[in-house]
Amino acid sequence: MSSVTVKIPTPLRPITSGQSEVKVEGATVGEILRTLDSQFKGFGERVLEDGKNVKRFINIFVNEDNIRDKKELDTEVRNGDTISILPSIAGGG
Amino acid sequence: MITIPASVLRQIYDHTEASYPNECCGLMVGSMGKDKVVHTFRTCKNLNKERAHDRYDMDPLDMLRVEREFEKSPLEIVGIYHSHPDHPSKPSQTDTDRAWPDYSYVIISVQKGTVASAQSWVLNEGERKFYEEPLITGDSK
Repeated sequence: MSSVTVKIPTPLRPITSGQSEVKVEGATVGEILRTLDSQFKGFGERVLEDGKNVKRFINIFVNEDNIRDKKELDTEVRNGDTISILPSIAGGG
Repeated sequence: MITIPASVLRQIYDHTEASYPNECCGLMVGSMGKDKVVHTFRTCKNLNKERAHDRYDMDPLDMLRVEREFEKSPLEIVGIYHSHPDHPSKPSQTDTDRAWPDYSYVIISVQKGTVASAQSWVLNEGERKFYEEPLITGDSK
């Protein structure tokens, strides 16, 4: 079990009562996100697809590493890691 | 309402004109409240190479770097700017489909390489529709 800091992006802060970062314990990114879902109603719905994968338009980094380049939700975390949840920004005219 | 210092807006315009005929994008950093005030900005890479003239995909690593750069300061990402080469400064369907609430989306129309107009938009998430917000050009600091 590791203690990590999760950074919450502006569009998701209404779900976390305005908190921009939350301390959570867990062994993998998936575990951390599921814990956050149990703490903050609606969190999982915004971040996870069917509770199993990260939504396509969300990027999650453990420190500097995108979890899509690692083991997705099974990516392990270590004590003191920072998890950043970032909206994917795109569009065009 | 969003206020952008004239000097910052000019630099953003420079980025959009230098990127023409391709789209460019970046992040505006400032204070978020009922009204947003932009203090500075950071350019970001457009990863969409196939349709760079009418699409942008912001490099998520650039966004991570900006988040980290300002995490100890009272400033935060308040919005995104991007250019519309030879198109109006209004959101496209793709802009609307991919938009997030709370951020301001400043769209800059670049006609034949020169900025023609800029407008700021905020998504109403329930309606999945953009509404224009006043864009005020503040004094340079």
